[in-house]
Amino acid sequence: MSLADIPVIQGVASSLTGNAPILLREIAEHLRRLLDCGETAAIDLQALPLTPADRAWLRERLGNGEIRVALEAEGQSTLEETGCQGVWWVTHHNEKGAVVSEFIETAFVPELVKAHPDDVQSGLEHLELLISDLC
Amino acid sequence: MQGPLIDTLARYGVSRRSFLKYCATLASMMALPPSAGRAMAEAMAAAPAAAKRPSVIWLPFQECTGCTESITRSHSPSIEGMIFDMVSLDYQETLMAAAGHQAEEALHNAMKENEGKYLLIVDGSVPLGLDGAYSCIAGKSNLEALKEVAKGAAAIVAMGSCAAYGGIPKANPNPTGAVSVSDVIKDKPIINIPGCPPIPVVMTGVLAHFLTFGSLPEMDKLGRPKAFYGETIHDRCYRRPFYDQGKFAKTFDDEGARKGWCLFELGCKGPVTYNACATVKWNGGTSWPVESGHGCLGCSEPDFWDGGGFYKALSMPADPLKVVAGAVAVGAAAGVAVSFANRAKKSGAKGGHETTTLADLEK
Amino acid sequence: MNEMQFLTWVRGTGLNIAVGIFLLGVIWRLIEIYSLGRKKDLSAPRNVPGASGWHTVFRRSMPPKDMGMVKKSPVSYIGGYVFHIGLAVVVFLFAPHIKFIESVVGLSWPGLPSQFVDLVAVITIAAMVVVLADRINKPVKRYLSTFEDWFTWTVTFLPVLTGWMAVQHLLLPYTTMLALHILSVEILLVVLPFTKLFHAFTVWGSRYYNGAVNGHKGVAV
Repeated sequence: MSLADIPVIQGVASSLTGNAPILLREIAEHLRRLLDCGETAAIDLQALPLTPADRAWLRERLGNGEIRVALEAEGQSTLEETGCQGVWWVTHHNEKGAVVSEFIETAFVPELVKAHPDDVQSGLEHLELLISDLC
Repeated sequence: MQGPLIDTLARYGVSRRSFLKYCATLASMMALPPSAGRAMAEAMAAAPAAAKRPSVIWLPFQECTGCTESITRSHSPSIEGMIFDMVSLDYQETLMAAAGHQAEEALHNAMKENEGKYLLIVDGSVPLGLDGAYSCIAGKSNLEALKEVAKGAAAIVAMGSCAAYGGIPKANPNPTGAVSVSDVIKDKPIINIPGCPPIPVVMTGVLAHFLTFGSLPEMDKLGRPKAFYGETIHDRCYRRPFYDQGKFAKTFDDEGARKGWCLFELGCKGPVTYNACATVKWNGGTSWPVESGHGCLGCSEPDFWDGGGFYKALSMPADPLKVVAGAVAVGAAAGVAVSFANRAKKSGAKGGHETTTLADLEK
Repeated sequence: MNEMQFLTWVRGTGLNIAVGIFLLGVIWRLIEIYSLGRKKDLSAPRNVPGASGWHTVFRRSMPPKDMGMVKKSPVSYIGGYVFHIGLAVVVFLFAPHIKFIESVVGLSWPGLPSQFVDLVAVITIAAMVVVLADRINKPVKRYLSTFEDWFTWTVTFLPVLTGWMAVQHLLLPYTTMLALHILSVEILLVVLPFTKLFHAFTVWGSRYYNGAVNGHKGVAV
């Protein structure tokens, strides 16, 4: 028996609530602030009453950009630039692939992508170790 | 952002980015603004490394072990497990290898060595009836054990609705005389993590807070961490828009139920239940009661078991109205009695009526 | 008693007591009023009294042709209309209220979206405040007002205010506000049969009576 045999409409709560269009204005405001004073911001999508349809609507409206960063850390995370440059759709998954948190970030580059100087330091140390092994 | 925690994490093979991601998720789950995630990461990372892992003692009383089951299913095992690795769980009957006298010895050693510093976690309620004979461990009643272990604790975590508010054992008629931890212990900081069972990440969140700051997080009036219990299920429910539109499922299998409409009329206690299920969800973010089509039972609220029935809408009477017939009868009787009295008065007035005489007019 | 126990009490024991007193009072007062009786009127009716009675029931709900009272006392007239209609909408067309009525008497009907009911509640609250301010400001009205007038205004106002505040999450946690809301309704239920609020039951009957008596005397309306 497959899921289709169960007389339940899949994708419950699949109607639009009208909450998504309001978010577009908020994102625009965040982008303006990013341009004016370089201030980054994030919107926690799980903290908002959005149906899956709302999210799909928002994702579709924002469109796809040119950059897609995949982060492998305790499950996969994707940081995708949307069709609006500077607006990033950030999805964190856990090891089992379930979405644990989802954000819309406004930044030139999301903080998570940049390497921390300390980590660069360990990277350098590791590289020096490799070089010293050469001789 | 650097500090001992980051080094510890690195030793466990957890990268800085993983930690940042975890903090962002934890902040989202704690219903904090996204900026708080970074602040938390910095605060936690900067916390001084403890020379010795803090001791944790976990006492089980009148409970079903569901809370332990829940905690052992934290959704991000490596980082949250790491937070558990940062403590020394010295006594936990279900998880520990030792049993009998050895287990008791471990408990007493931990109490002696960490006097005044250990964290006490309690799950289950404390029965007071029959001098506490309803639940005993190693010949000691739960009441005795709690008082003894609580004495040297730095703080107490009441895990689950039973320890926090008495829970199901306290449900009417409460045969064992069950009470909550805070009913017994008055002189220690106590934090309640109610829920039946509580959400795992709430536990790790509170533990993370205790480890970082050495204190319990900010609490609400009912002793719950505000971060997780600050808003109602209803306010954060993805079905909330349907409530506002007046679209309700009337039965569990009607058109509305299939379309995912609001479950208020089917008895959902979301509007009066403070918990994080709507955002954190269960089973690694798979789903949660309302998403699976069942209303909220209100399990993180005191006396949720006696809240007037799980399938009765909040606006419905908690008990069937018993007095209707009696009230109507008494009202009718009173009405009839008063009307007889009125008639008697009227006929009295009529009987006392005198004809006006000439003498009266001349007065 | 914590807030959840408070809520359960007002939904259980409290509601039982309130509904009991309400029913008792309503039945008592109705029987008392309708059994009062009158001495037989031996005069011949000048007009058909029944028709005049029925006419009055409706006519008094309409503004008069010359708009007399609407012009003389617009605040009482319009304010009164607004808050009575508002109360009816809020009480009978808000989904949780319908659910309550359905569970008690078994009847149900479709409700209105909560945002609309919310708006109506705000209008109702505003109208009630305006009517009260008018009562305080106008010397004659103030002079005619007794304790009962202030009291009944308060017990009618509180359920609307607490209900709206509960929905809007103002001042107190929702649980407490909801419990206070139900408690205020229970106070209203207890008070209703024994104060002028009983007009909810007697308004049509007394209008009919007035019209019929007037018709009988020759003032057909």
